[in-house]
Amino acid sequence: MIKKGAKSRQPRNLLFLFEVLSLSLLFLYQWDSLEKSTYITAIGLVLIIYLSNFLLLKISDGDQYIFLIVTMLLSIGLIMIYRIDEGLGVKQLLWISIGILTFYLTYFVLRYIKGWRNWGILYLGLSYLLFLFTFVLGSRIKGAKNWIKIGGISFQPAEITKLLLIFIIASFYSNKEKYKDIKYSNYYLVGIVYSFIALLFLQKDLGMAVLFYVIFLALQYIYEEDRKLIFLNIGLFLAGGLLGYVVFDHVKVRFVTWLNPWPYIDNKGYQIIQSLFAIAEGGFFGTGLGLGYPYFIPHADTDFIFSAICEEMGLFTGIGIIMLFLILVYRGFKIALRQKNKFYKILALGISVLFGIQSIVIIGGVLKVIPLTGITLPFVSYGGSSMLSNFIALGVLQVASEDLGLEDEHYEIGE
Amino acid sequence: MKLENKRIISVLIVFCLSFIGLVGYMSYFQVFRAEKIKQNSYNKRLWINEENIVRGSILDRNGTVLAYSEKQGDEIKRYYKYGRLYSHIIGYSYREYGKAGLELTYNSQLLNINENSAINEIINIVAPSTVGNNLELTIDHGLQEKTRNLLKGKKGTVISMNPKTGEIYSMVSLPDFDSSRLKEDWNEIAEDPNSPFLNRAIQGLYPPGSTFKLITTIGALNTSNLDLEYDCVGSVNVHGYTFTDYQGKGHGHLNLKSALVNSCNTYFTSKSTEIGRDTLGRVAEGFMFNNKIPFDLPVKTSSFPVNENIDKTGLAAASIGQGKVLATPLNMLLVASGIANDGEVVQPYLVKNIVSKDGKMLKTTRTETLSRGTSSIMADKVKDMMIDVIKYGTGKNGSIKNVQVAGKTGTAENASGNSHAWFVGFAPADDPKIAVTVLLEEEGSSGGRSAAPIARDLIIYALNNIKF
Repeated sequence: MIKKGAKSRQPRNLLFLFEVLSLSLLFLYQWDSLEKSTYITAIGLVLIIYLSNFLLLKISDGDQYIFLIVTMLLSIGLIMIYRIDEGLGVKQLLWISIGILTFYLTYFVLRYIKGWRNWGILYLGLSYLLFLFTFVLGSRIKGAKNWIKIGGISFQPAEITKLLLIFIIASFYSNKEKYKDIKYSNYYLVGIVYSFIALLFLQKDLGMAVLFYVIFLALQYIYEEDRKLIFLNIGLFLAGGLLGYVVFDHVKVRFVTWLNPWPYIDNKGYQIIQSLFAIAEGGFFGTGLGLGYPYFIPHADTDFIFSAICEEMGLFTGIGIIMLFLILVYRGFKIALRQKNKFYKILALGISVLFGIQSIVIIGGVLKVIPLTGITLPFVSYGGSSMLSNFIALGVLQVASEDLGLEDEHYEIGE
Repeated sequence: MKLENKRIISVLIVFCLSFIGLVGYMSYFQVFRAEKIKQNSYNKRLWINEENIVRGSILDRNGTVLAYSEKQGDEIKRYYKYGRLYSHIIGYSYREYGKAGLELTYNSQLLNINENSAINEIINIVAPSTVGNNLELTIDHGLQEKTRNLLKGKKGTVISMNPKTGEIYSMVSLPDFDSSRLKEDWNEIAEDPNSPFLNRAIQGLYPPGSTFKLITTIGALNTSNLDLEYDCVGSVNVHGYTFTDYQGKGHGHLNLKSALVNSCNTYFTSKSTEIGRDTLGRVAEGFMFNNKIPFDLPVKTSSFPVNENIDKTGLAAASIGQGKVLATPLNMLLVASGIANDGEVVQPYLVKNIVSKDGKMLKTTRTETLSRGTSSIMADKVKDMMIDVIKYGTGKNGSIKNVQVAGKTGTAENASGNSHAWFVGFAPADDPKIAVTVLLEEEGSSGGRSAAPIARDLIIYALNNIKF
């Protein structure tokens, strides 16, 4: 433990240096009119990040890097959001604090309450309940009906459902013996996931639908013994996508503007082209913080934050963000490979796939590599519910990175 | 390894490849696509630069200001002092209508926006410029005004340049438009069937008519064993098609010189078979036909049919600048300049210097040779013939007292039924200071009658007024 601490101090200090350097950008940007909130944000961020990294080392003997990686992503995102809108930046700092608290809370709850793998039905019920809430109480934001408002705070239930999905799949595959007697149990799982995807389609939340699908496909590929089911899954998705293209106008629009947005430059293709302008203007080194035009980019603080960052901080920072996600996903997979407890192994995989596919879908989207679907860039975009759910996921990953012993089924079987 | 872990690793590999693919695409995008995308007029950033930077001025060779920008409150306004006079040279820069002319070609220099390199980006951030650079042109404002006055009321173009250095002294194309009144006149200009936006000097392709005989003459000189004597009876049949001379009059006994002086069609068409397509093509290409002429404004490429299968009639037509030969007036100016400059064709240019706001010379254009049109011996021979064209031949209207002018006229038939009137030439013949091309589109009269006097008056003014 002592040795490990000494080993981890160095990256933590490097991270401190990174924070100071990147925050000094913010001070330079505001040099003529420094505001109190800037000091608060800067000092607050450094304190929160340094303390929580310090604390984590004391608490967990698991992976020490995933949290470091995430704090770097948080800092880049916060600086950009603060530069776009100071009030939003302060709010984001608050969300980061709450997020980190949630991370620790998740860690402890998961660590000290046993039996998570047996509550598959509970997760399932909760998921449908959340969908029901969305339809009953939902309001439309950006054309998608996927938000509910409770007491002035907007919340996106699907952010929680995406975690529940991972729990459902993990609980299913780690309890395979239990479901062995039920015929076609694995078909039921496909049905459940597709019901989620269909509901998301109805809410016009395409990004989330793709996310759900890829998480399911990846885990199914690894764990499904019935290999032809995987092909069925791929076939169904293609058929569903085609149907969606024909039936839903919003699917068609995304596809058409992906193939060639230029004829629709002042209507349907506006968003993606503004994103391309921003990235092109940034060049390799960016215009410099405060010298670009993030206000020209729609939703520069959420879905399109990657474009705004590329404009002001350059292609190299963009590549840096992609590399951070690559290391995060790599660490996540490594955690999964090492974990002997099957339930946590699948959770670690699901979460790694989640972080990976979510960043690929939105970065690929704003670069026009793939059709654009509106989702947030984890830990970088502004947003409360996505921040919370991503930190819960990170907490789960942190638990999964620890040595949890062999399967804890002994006392479960005795029921 | 367990099957499960093998599969986990293959999923990891898929993710890693996707991430690396994104990095690869981003780099590709930045290197190969970004520049073009940035220039899209829907990119609002382009105009933000305009709104903060006072665009540089454009001056003539003597320092006369032709276009400038001024800050008025929050707005920066562009002034085109001489309205129509420079519409085809300077062009315009409007948010609504985009950019044209030198305003387009030299946009980043006028705005002093540095090229996209790491060091320049740092310079841009540390010290963003607020005033752009000035352009000093090779144009002589007085001659430009004179040129336009000479051409007034006609459709066509006149260009003059220094045949030794490539400096363009004046360039007028009519009809033109008023750069300072683009907003008010836009619809009218766009709908005008005479296309005022077209710069005929560089964007118009015309049959060069008899002016092309200069090239055929050099071709004949390059053909060994060619019988240069000929008896002209006013018409000749080449491979089934009858070529006639101007007004059907025979010129009698001719040699190469007297054939050029009298612009005898039958002489050149009947010799064309022996000269051959290859020799004629080689000379034409030496004078930049079928080659892109590098210039400060976009130039159409003149064409001579070297690769096409043309029969003897087609070649005969080409030898007198008809049929499949098409040339821009600028290209014909280079033909005359090349002969004036001992056979060497120099690159024409409009922008002499780029000067920063504090007077620092950022870039000076130097004279560059484009190609060798012909040897200096041949050039001298042709020059002598061109002197006689003015003294005794079709170009008498181009002659000036005390100054020896060399030139060639042309009257080009075309689909409209009204022939184009051409004149190319230079003066003084023994030490050429200025070369001129005059083209009057669909003038319906001969080059000697209508084009040559314009060239003469221009040369007189230029020799008396320009500081060479």
